[in-house]
Amino acid sequence: MKRIQRTTGIRRTEGMLAVSLLALSASATAAAEVECPIRIGGLAPLSAPGTVVGGEAMRDAMLIAEQDLNDAGGVLGCEVKVVIADTEGLPEKAAAVMEKLIAQDGVVAVGGGYHSSVGVASKDVADARGVPVVFAETWNDTITGDKQKYIFRIAPLSSWASSTIWKHSLLVPGIRKAVILTENTDYGIPAAQETTEGLKTGNVETVTFSVDIGTQDYAGIVERIKAENPDMIIVLATGEAGYNFTQQAADAGIGPMDIPFHTGQVSLESKAYWENVPDGNYAFVQRIGVPENLFNEKAKNFSATYKAKTGKAGVESYAMEAYDSIAILAQAIDEAKSTDGDEIVEALENIDHDGTLGRIYFPYGTGRDPAADGKGDEWWHQWPDPALTVIQYQEEGQNSVDSPIVWPDAYKTGEAIYVGR
Amino acid sequence: METPNIFWGVIGWMIFWGVLGSVVTRRRYLHRDLDTTNANFTGAMLGAATGPIGLVPLWLRTPELTNRLIVLPAIGSVTLIAAAFAFADPGNNCVSNGAFVASQITNGLIIGIIYGFMALGLTLIFSILGVVSFAHGEFYMIGGMVVYFVTAVWLPGINPLLAVLTACLVAFAIGAAFERLFLTPMYEGKVDRPVEYGILVTFGLAFTLQYFVQAMAGANPVKARRFFDFPRLRWPSAEDPWLLRSSRGNVELFDTVSISNPRFVAAVICILVLIALLGFLHRTWTGKALRAVSQDREAAAIAGIDPDRMNMLAFALGGMIAALAGALLVQAFSWLPQVGNIPAMRSFVIVVLGGLGSLPGAFLGGIIVGLVEAAGTGCIPDAQKAASYIPAYGMVVLTLTLLLRPTGLFGRRFASGAHGKF
Repeated sequence: MKRIQRTTGIRRTEGMLAVSLLALSASATAAAEVECPIRIGGLAPLSAPGTVVGGEAMRDAMLIAEQDLNDAGGVLGCEVKVVIADTEGLPEKAAAVMEKLIAQDGVVAVGGGYHSSVGVASKDVADARGVPVVFAETWNDTITGDKQKYIFRIAPLSSWASSTIWKHSLLVPGIRKAVILTENTDYGIPAAQETTEGLKTGNVETVTFSVDIGTQDYAGIVERIKAENPDMIIVLATGEAGYNFTQQAADAGIGPMDIPFHTGQVSLESKAYWENVPDGNYAFVQRIGVPENLFNEKAKNFSATYKAKTGKAGVESYAMEAYDSIAILAQAIDEAKSTDGDEIVEALENIDHDGTLGRIYFPYGTGRDPAADGKGDEWWHQWPDPALTVIQYQEEGQNSVDSPIVWPDAYKTGEAIYVGR
Repeated sequence: METPNIFWGVIGWMIFWGVLGSVVTRRRYLHRDLDTTNANFTGAMLGAATGPIGLVPLWLRTPELTNRLIVLPAIGSVTLIAAAFAFADPGNNCVSNGAFVASQITNGLIIGIIYGFMALGLTLIFSILGVVSFAHGEFYMIGGMVVYFVTAVWLPGINPLLAVLTACLVAFAIGAAFERLFLTPMYEGKVDRPVEYGILVTFGLAFTLQYFVQAMAGANPVKARRFFDFPRLRWPSAEDPWLLRSSRGNVELFDTVSISNPRFVAAVICILVLIALLGFLHRTWTGKALRAVSQDREAAAIAGIDPDRMNMLAFALGGMIAALAGALLVQAFSWLPQVGNIPAMRSFVIVVLGGLGSLPGAFLGGIIVGLVEAAGTGCIPDAQKAASYIPAYGMVVLTLTLLLRPTGLFGRRFASGAHGKF
């Protein structure tokens, strides 16, 4: 059933006549039922302990999406307003923020989202309220695995992302033992388990250390890792925790310049990375999306706007995901010709969106269950085609977009350098 | 752990005799109308370390509880736990790897010195003003931020020690101004509930500083470059540098103990400043005046000391000490406006552990917390849990201390109006 849409922009002095006329014309044009501006929520961690570097990039990208949509005439004749909400990377804050976006700010859909724990905690609120969400960068499999009607995702599944890391790690010459440092969150714990299972297929032993998301001092852990004598270190920690650990490991002689070292995805933000990890050369970093030379027109345009707005030399993958999460919701609202949650979901399930990340669609949902094709529940409302790559910093101060892609072969732009111990 | 039953069996035995020793010893001393200040602690430690063998003579003879009688059983308890652990888990790095143990102890000592130094500021403020400053973590944050902006943004290439000095001056000025503007109503009877007022107004300062810095500098992590690079040294010879080997960012002693440059520099400067601070407090008129006010405000005022001025000095000095700790650690950790939250919480733990208002207690408490964190991180067999529980280790020590000695290690029972003695 459609929700009752309120009308705005009508002066009270025009009285009942205008209201009556509007009511008569309501059935003739659905767009007239929509409240303007159309508000779309944008989740991003903008305070610690969340990954502020990622959150600010996502915020900038979502605001560019808002600008692009409005420059193109808006949606259903209305201006689009992206309401940014700071999740702080905390699940308890995320649920409250989602509630506020829906109840107080009146958003009709929500995009963005960086931390998995935020996605896990906030999706139930949105689903119960009937507000569609397209998560941009939350990887935990259960976010779509719970098969909730209003929840979609364009980020890769955690299991896919983990497989990128362990498949690449198995290529490290002579690898027999790896240490995983993970954050004890809804992202880190399953990611560590998946990576461990994957490495086991190559007979690689693993030892996992888990830490709180805001941990600063890793001296004791670093000593313990040294005692394990690993052939490789894998960091599954978001935010500045990844910076702190990587540099402290480097200080102790087990950093990226000493042994093969897969650091956190936040290291894609090159300026912050080199400032916080001056001894971080030769680190491997996972990246989502195709290399810049394979960008489509939309990605090129977004990249140019983003660089001009932020002054950065490149665009991070989570910024592209955030941009697409807003754009795809706007297209769904446009195609649904309504801001009703059920109709947006129907439009999303049938969408064919030309995004910065490529063609985005959701093959599984209420129309077709993943089980019909022998897929797991996590494929529900899940974009199946995100490109996953591994880059390596090979020069001090190098920008992540200029760093060679070393895995997989399909996107490879350079050979990996495996430092000796 | 190979034989956990042995370890947990010993722990269970120690807890049983510890609890029994604590309760009964206090009752015995009360019954004989003796001082019970240390009865709980001594009874618990003696019971845990020796069981009935030590407790029965103690209960029968009820001797004076001297420092030796307090400290030796405590050492015995720790030794017994270590021995049980070694027996139960002989393959653990903490048992079988001497180099690892030495490194963990060194790391614990170094970070403990810095913890203790930061807690000194908090205890200084409490002992003079009777205020628990909830803005202590923000002074720590300000110190690091000032050093970052001076060395990396405003004046690149400047001597980092000048930036540290600037951070100290900024924190001192903020502390002095805040004390004059917001804390003086407490002493002048303008507020009904001065203790609650002190807590709330310092909370306000904390939020103001944190969000002011976030608004001005953003919330992205920043970090200052290493203040100094170590020279490349190889002792006694380049071929076999078993005594000392250093690189730009690290020094290794005896081929075993590895210390990172930023921590080493921070710890050395903390020790030097601590010595200077003790000299200031014990050798100068102003320092003696501060100590006098901490002991008896009225008597100090009669002797010609202006307690209000000492309040301002103590708050500014306390904030400056926190800022100095931050200024030294911004080269070791990534820095954010919220970076002070955890160190501030740890400082509260240390101050209560050491005894409210006690400077030696704060410093020793810091070292104990540092060592306990290092032991927990290094020795807990399950790697996943060892690091996850870092914030809990200090709390466990604090809980045990408060149970057995509510005044903390060096605390004393306070008369109304007095807050501490250092």
